[in-house]
Amino acid sequence: MTRVGLRTFSLVVLIAAPLMAQQTDGRLEQLERRLDDLSRQATEIRQELNRLKGQQPPAPAPQPQPEDLTKVEVVPAPQPAVGPLPTAAATQIPPPQALTDVQTVNNVINPAASKVFNPDTSVIGNFIGRAGQRNPFEFGSDNERPPLGFDEAEIAFQAYVDPYAKANFFFSITPGGIDLEEGYANFVTLPYDLTAKVGKMKAFFGKDNTWHTHVRPWVDQPLVIHNFFGDEGLNDTGVSVSKVIPNPWNTFLEATGEVFSGHVPDVFERRGPNDLFYNAHLKAFRDITENNNIEVGTSYARGALAGAPGGNSQFGGIDVTYRWKPLQRGLYNSFIGRLEAITNHRNDFDRNLKGFYASADYQLDRRWFAGVRVDAADRPIISTEGLAPVHFTDRGASGTITFWPSEFSQIRGQLRRTRYGDVGRSVNEFLVQLQFAIGAHGAHAF
Amino acid sequence: MKRIAWLTVASILFSGSLFAANKLKVVTTTQDLASITREVGGDRVDVTSIARGYQDPHFVEPKPSFLLLLKNADLLEVVGLELEIGWLPPLLDQCRNNNIRPGTPGYLDLSQGVEILDRPSVVNRSMGDVHPLGNPHYWLDPANAVRIAIQVRNRLAQLQPADTAYFDQHLQNFKVRINDANKRWMAQMAPYRGAKIVDYHPSLPNFAKHFGLDIVGTIEPKPGIPPSPSHTLEIINLIKTQHVKAILMEPYFDRKTPDFVAAQTGAKVVVIYPSVGGKPGLDDYFKLFDYDIDVLTKALR
Repeated sequence: MTRVGLRTFSLVVLIAAPLMAQQTDGRLEQLERRLDDLSRQATEIRQELNRLKGQQPPAPAPQPQPEDLTKVEVVPAPQPAVGPLPTAAATQIPPPQALTDVQTVNNVINPAASKVFNPDTSVIGNFIGRAGQRNPFEFGSDNERPPLGFDEAEIAFQAYVDPYAKANFFFSITPGGIDLEEGYANFVTLPYDLTAKVGKMKAFFGKDNTWHTHVRPWVDQPLVIHNFFGDEGLNDTGVSVSKVIPNPWNTFLEATGEVFSGHVPDVFERRGPNDLFYNAHLKAFRDITENNNIEVGTSYARGALAGAPGGNSQFGGIDVTYRWKPLQRGLYNSFIGRLEAITNHRNDFDRNLKGFYASADYQLDRRWFAGVRVDAADRPIISTEGLAPVHFTDRGASGTITFWPSEFSQIRGQLRRTRYGDVGRSVNEFLVQLQFAIGAHGAHAF
Repeated sequence: MKRIAWLTVASILFSGSLFAANKLKVVTTTQDLASITREVGGDRVDVTSIARGYQDPHFVEPKPSFLLLLKNADLLEVVGLELEIGWLPPLLDQCRNNNIRPGTPGYLDLSQGVEILDRPSVVNRSMGDVHPLGNPHYWLDPANAVRIAIQVRNRLAQLQPADTAYFDQHLQNFKVRINDANKRWMAQMAPYRGAKIVDYHPSLPNFAKHFGLDIVGTIEPKPGIPPSPSHTLEIINLIKTQHVKAILMEPYFDRKTPDFVAAQTGAKVVVIYPSVGGKPGLDDYFKLFDYDIDVLTKALR
């Protein structure tokens, strides 16, 4: 290239470069404007889409208006109304329905509805383990009560018979077989403030004698109950009538009279048609404050003496129960103190036999309970060889700890020391108990 | 003169007993039912509650002293849904009052006409102490309070027809008052709709539904089962991840676990009273909600 050519090329470049730069700036501005247009269009399209979708633009969510409670009506119940209500509307006679418009009714039949008449059924299992020194005096040989084993299952059936009575059946299944522990009709709608029970039942004597195994706060029976009444307690077939006695002292007073057929193994024996067993109980209950109360009972029982050719046996008893349960902390802490003393007059003894137990149980926490009990009771020994009957005094002391995993199960340990009067030595044992319930078991009376 | 004085005293006493005889004797199982019944029944009813507001209504002792109350009652009102199953049946069997037995006009199960939540389709005791018929704590919904009042009015009018207009007027007054109160309560709770809470026992579903609270966990692993360590750890994690501000508990439960959880998470423990009479001053249904809403809104701030 010549020198003239180079100068011309440089001149063209110098002139053209600004012109090209001006063209590029214009395109950028155009692009920016187009981008702005596109952005605005996108916003408009988004708003249009939102409008079509029914979406509201972001705004504070409105608070729901309170329901007008003056317009609230009851939720229709599945049960029939109790009766016509005395309103003005109810007294107006509605016009007769046109029977030409009647349609069939589509009733839904519940095939399980009739099962509501089945009785409440429950099973309560009771397993007991034992460790420590042998105790043939109370439990027999070790073969009869293994170190750990099934002790009893209580099967209960409870239901209303009709508008007048409620039936209660409690069967006791033990390794020895099945037995009707209680089975009675409870008449709860009698006049004159009366209630009555007819059937096989525990006599209303004191407190412990009325309890089922799962209600008792100990693994075992107190000595006085065991020595005087045996494993099954005062339990017979008969009639029981109770009446509340009105009084001006704001105290619950209830008198109970009972007549039984007269057969309680090793206690009463029915030798003739008139050898019935009678029992009477008077119970007084009073709230001291809303957190504590006291109950005092007296009992008297009489029947033909078992194992003797004649004569009778009479029992007199007194029971006192003090309860403390602060209402607000009642789930976690409570206390029950009990005292029950019994005296027994037998024709074959020249003096009365006596016995008692006293106990205290404290609830440590929602599921933990601890208790102590002291016992003393005479034990009659009847000779089968014609010798004069004798008696010895047994004494005992126990400590218990109980854990309730739930309302329906409990684990209890009991450390027990018993001194038997006839052999003059003590037996130390540790008893452990597991109880659990399934099914619907009616609440027990207080 | 002395004779006249005696006659005067005797006539006053006699007239007093006659006047008392005109009042229906109502026994309720809880103080909440008693409060609403007083609203409807006014001075034509004499209302007594068996359970106190500060005790767990599931676990009332069936003391013989309650038999004396029930023996003279014209009407027994129960919450129902098996809330009272552990203690009311033996009282009814022993009270010698056939007029308040189930199925008679003197027995009123108020669960029959209210909105019930938490009706389980399947239930067994591995699920804890579940109420198979539904959650019985329904009175903690003000709308259900109105439903209770309507049922009470109907039954009082049935038992004492001469006072029907009186009961109608009192029911209407109650509806207006609780409607006004509800507007106030809803306004107080409005900022906290959707707030996540943890309760101790499942007794607040109706309350939570009414005020739009979200119960995300319960201190009890299962109803009636005390808290276990593993479940407590789960609740702590839940509160942290879901940013729960309040743990609601009834006054009769132990604070140990809720306080521990609160210390680990920063959530506040709120003692909420589920019943009228839960503490001094909570004398009626309105005061109960005034108090509970107040403590709850303070905790949720």
